Amino acid sequence: MDYSFSNVALIALLPFFAFVINAFIVKKFTKLAVTISCLAIFSSFLLACRIFKDVVFDVYSSEFYVHKYFNWIDISSATIPFKINMGIYIDNMTAIMLLMVTGVATLIHVFSTYYMHDDARFGRFFVYMSLFTSAMLGLVLSDNLLSVFIFWELMGFCSYSLIGFYYEKEGAGNASMKAFMTTRVGDVFFLVGILAIWNIVGSVSFVDIYAALSQGKFAHDIMIFGLGIPVATFAAFSIFMGTIGKSAQFPLQVWLPDAMFGPTPCSALIHAATMVAAGVYLSLRMFPLMEAGHLLTFIAYIGAITAFGAATIALVQTDIKAVLAYSTISQLGYMVLGVGVGAYNASFMHLITHAVFKACLFLAAGSVIHSLHDHHTHEHVQEMPRMGGLRKKLPFTFIAMMCCTLAISGIPFFSGFVSKDRILGDALLAALHHKVMWVPAVLGFAAAFLTAFYMFRMMFLTFFGEPRDKELYEHMHEEHLQLNSNVPLLILSIFTLGVFYSGSLTGQGFIKVFKGNYEWFGTLVEKPHVANFQDHKRQLWTMDSSVDREEFKHSRYDEKHGKTEEEAHHVHQVHLIGALMSIVIAFSGVFLSFLMYGKKSLNPAFWTGLFSGWYRGLLNKYYFDTFYIKVVIQKMLLPLNNFLAFIDMGIYDRYAIDGWENVNRWFYTVAKWFDNLVVDTVAVDGTGASVRLFNVVLRTLQSGKIQFYFIMIILVLSSYIWAIGSN
Amino acid sequence: MQAGSSQLLNWILWMPMLGVLGVLLLPKDKKDWIRMWSLLNTALTLVFSVVLYMKFDNTVPGMQSPFNVVIPWIENFHIFYRLGVDGISLPMVMLTSLLFMICILSSWTIEKSVKAYFALFLFLQACIYGVFLSLDFFLFYVFWEVMLIPMFFLIGIWGGENREYAAVKFFLYTFFGSILMLVGMVALYYASGSNAESFNILALSGGKFTSLTINIFGSTFSFSKLFFVFMFIGFAIKVPVFPFHTWLPHAHVQAPTAISVILAGVLLKMGTYGFLRIAYPIFPEASVHFSSAIAWLGLINVIYGALCAMAQTDVKKLIAYSSVSHMGFVMLGLAAMTVQGMNGAVLQMFNHGTSTAMMFLLIGVLYERSHHRWIVRPDGTKGFGGLYTQLPRYSIIFIIAMFASMGLPGLSGFISEALIFLGIYERFTTITVLALFGLLIGAAYLLWMFKRMFFGEVIEECKEYTDMNAREIFYMLPLCAAVIIFGIYPAPVLNVMRASVGQLVSLLSNY
Repeated sequence: MDYSFSNVALIALLPFFAFVINAFIVKKFTKLAVTISCLAIFSSFLLACRIFKDVVFDVYSSEFYVHKYFNWIDISSATIPFKINMGIYIDNMTAIMLLMVTGVATLIHVFSTYYMHDDARFGRFFVYMSLFTSAMLGLVLSDNLLSVFIFWELMGFCSYSLIGFYYEKEGAGNASMKAFMTTRVGDVFFLVGILAIWNIVGSVSFVDIYAALSQGKFAHDIMIFGLGIPVATFAAFSIFMGTIGKSAQFPLQVWLPDAMFGPTPCSALIHAATMVAAGVYLSLRMFPLMEAGHLLTFIAYIGAITAFGAATIALVQTDIKAVLAYSTISQLGYMVLGVGVGAYNASFMHLITHAVFKACLFLAAGSVIHSLHDHHTHEHVQEMPRMGGLRKKLPFTFIAMMCCTLAISGIPFFSGFVSKDRILGDALLAALHHKVMWVPAVLGFAAAFLTAFYMFRMMFLTFFGEPRDKELYEHMHEEHLQLNSNVPLLILSIFTLGVFYSGSLTGQGFIKVFKGNYEWFGTLVEKPHVANFQDHKRQLWTMDSSVDREEFKHSRYDEKHGKTEEEAHHVHQVHLIGALMSIVIAFSGVFLSFLMYGKKSLNPAFWTGLFSGWYRGLLNKYYFDTFYIKVVIQKMLLPLNNFLAFIDMGIYDRYAIDGWENVNRWFYTVAKWFDNLVVDTVAVDGTGASVRLFNVVLRTLQSGKIQFYFIMIILVLSSYIWAIGSN
Repeated sequence: MQAGSSQLLNWILWMPMLGVLGVLLLPKDKKDWIRMWSLLNTALTLVFSVVLYMKFDNTVPGMQSPFNVVIPWIENFHIFYRLGVDGISLPMVMLTSLLFMICILSSWTIEKSVKAYFALFLFLQACIYGVFLSLDFFLFYVFWEVMLIPMFFLIGIWGGENREYAAVKFFLYTFFGSILMLVGMVALYYASGSNAESFNILALSGGKFTSLTINIFGSTFSFSKLFFVFMFIGFAIKVPVFPFHTWLPHAHVQAPTAISVILAGVLLKMGTYGFLRIAYPIFPEASVHFSSAIAWLGLINVIYGALCAMAQTDVKKLIAYSSVSHMGFVMLGLAAMTVQGMNGAVLQMFNHGTSTAMMFLLIGVLYERSHHRWIVRPDGTKGFGGLYTQLPRYSIIFIIAMFASMGLPGLSGFISEALIFLGIYERFTTITVLALFGLLIGAAYLLWMFKRMFFGEVIEECKEYTDMNAREIFYMLPLCAAVIIFGIYPAPVLNVMRASVGQLVSLLSNY
């Protein structure tokens, strides 16, 4: 297949066209607008399938990539060239991402036609969703950091609009603003990183950065605030701050739980499956730079702290969406931990598997929420204490949610196990090599235990036991199999099986899933070898770019990854230990959860009473929000603003500027006295002229004879200058 | 050369004057005739500007000879009537034409002495064209100064409750700067030999005064550095650069909507245009010498303006301070003296013109309904609330304007800011990193304002507001289009300016 404009760009453009059309017709033809949005994303999905088929089935090479570009901005002058190019970069990672994003987005669009149909702004929801998917696909296709940034911010805008979707509520405004501003903190750093890279490479396209890295262009120091910082570290840190913001990592995790204010399908798509994962995607793309900047340990710590911290907060949440929100943060932490320990393809695999099961979890939660309608307040119920025993009434939702919970908890044969286990295995490996990596590894395993615990806690509280709110339960309708409500969930839950992602179990070959290999994912997704990009090929991207395809050698999965026999054996053993540990940990988490919430032989209230200080800390999300809002914003930023504004108008303008009036008035008095006494008696000379000038200035101030002022000033000043010039 | 081109600049410059004449001839009580005539007049000017844009040759750096006009004016003092257009002035001319036509439409509701208002308004337009098109320093100065007169009266008569104070303040501030500029002009006249080329901006430029020194009170100064500072202050007041910015919040808040739009959209750009046309080309060596000072001042503008904006409870004052902040970006681009930075600065001048004009127009629209502009009243109650629910069309346009002004990618502000940052990072890394936080605060004050005014339930007094009418939507549409189109595809603006800007950058890079 040729990667021409019409084959590739349409993936992102179709939802964009849908957005443009819908923006105009949505008010009058809501149904049509919704259909257009769904059709557009489904067509994108088909196009993405084509690329996926070509890349994965036909080419099947870890070295495959296509880079095409066109000129966007050209401000070259006669002597100095300056151009900004935009383009596409497609490799295995792109192809897999495209398939994931379009697939998940299609199912969520379908689900939204069920979930949102009685909303007053049914159509407008789809307008934003179309814009969002288009931006996300644009980001995935991007060949350079600047266009990543552009689409990244556009997604931020969509996220802002969708969190604030119920704008009549006061909380929506706070939540959406918080989300936008918090991620923008990261974005500002991201932009710094882009500038730093541009300054060195002269471009920000991935391939150019890789090439520059292999040529050692990032070796020098840069002076910032008078400090010399290695430029690779500076750039890598700045870019990674973008990840921290977008992927809700410690310490900028505060926005994601609030983002649940938006409609649930948008939480599923934006705040679970795609946008928040874009941060991790960025870190993966820039992995060679992170490596060169010696930032991996830092990344591992951030990831592990996030994974563990968010998991602990999730333990005490009672809102079903809040549990999922914290579990999203925690899982994103795993991905970042994966980047930090160099588990490149495991981290990416976790991104994909997480997108599938988390989208499904959110949709299932949406399904639960939608079916629980409180007839007193006319609102949907999200609180788990009012649920319980729902599995009888919501059988399909229950099945889907159970599959996903098994996946996220890391139960063998499910997708979450495959990916998470590899990250933990690599973390263990890293810990064995560097003592400093023990902390992330231990936190990672601990978080795995907590994940299994709180996810099953959610399941037990929601679906098992007796209904705790009888009236609510009785008003519920039985769930029937319906194309747009539970079928998307069931489709997604099928893909929580591990076999779609890998044919191995605990590092052992299990089923040969693909072309006689145990692995396809692990084979295709590899760290970019920067040396390969020294003389990369790129083409101008036009409407009909049919250029000869390069030949790439078909991959053969090398279990050893270029290691010696002994090393490979060691790696293998560590992975096996890690896998066994994580299985034990997952099951013990499930078991403890069963004891507390299933069998109820342990009383949770006893434990919360025992650790009441911790419990309060967890309920308050470790006081991050309190600190940011009460201290940083209310105690520092706003007083500073008010102080500056007061200085500006109350002091500076009032005294330093308007104060001249008093000086003038004083001068006027003096000048008048001088005028009467001296000038009138003594002959008018050069000095007198200047006094007269001020006299005029002041009289003008009083009388407004501006024309006279003009003439005098011009005459007098000209004569002065002439006098100076002739010296 | 095409026939008719040579008079095009004259047409653009004198068309509004013709309009003034027409308005004066029309009877006082035929208000709609006056309005229609003014609209027609600005429309024709816009057509001329578009013709100019079509005939403009993007490849030529510097002045485009087919359009040049040179007529002797006061021959004894070698003063000429010289007009010309290049890639830097063309975007400004286009912006002026567009904004004036829109402002005439938005001034439709003015009822207080309509005749005088429109006459002064068109007179102001002519003066602004004069500034952007003159190539003779004296002519430039005349237009620069004369422009104060309509501005003074437009603020002083049609403004808010504190209008006289604001008008006098605006006048004196600008006048103070003008005196310094005048000194510089006269000095240049004598320094260049007081011959026929002594007021010709083009003939003066190119670094002719680099090695000249001047004696004042017995000490020796570098001629170019001294008078660069003079010119700098003159233009900086107009931009406005900190610490010469305090006229702006007063003037913006007190001025009627259309005048705020022109002030923020066009008049501020005259300051930065002055740098590009006069201060930089004539004193390139001094400009390079002072560039880090300019960058620091730009940084202060960006951060200080944004922080002050955040404390405001009056919407219009908030946007006024945001102008201070955004013009800081232009200053940063000018300090960069690289191709990216300078192009970014000129583009930012254009983009800020469109986006901030939208903001002021929208505030004007709201003011016509509410007759107040408090986000939070002095007594702590909400001034607005739930406008999103009450005014859906208004809200959508407001969102576009707001995000354009905070530089959301896909809308125009982003590209110019990105270019400026790409340009300045090379030279002033620390300043760039600090200035980027201006973007953060920039988003904060706008979103906070938006949250307080638009989210939540509709408060009692907002319930009677009507959504934007057809006229209001009609005049917002061209700006919306400009903001979106130039955000995705900025080439139409960048292409005309790049050759001229490139020439200036090459000149500066010699020092």
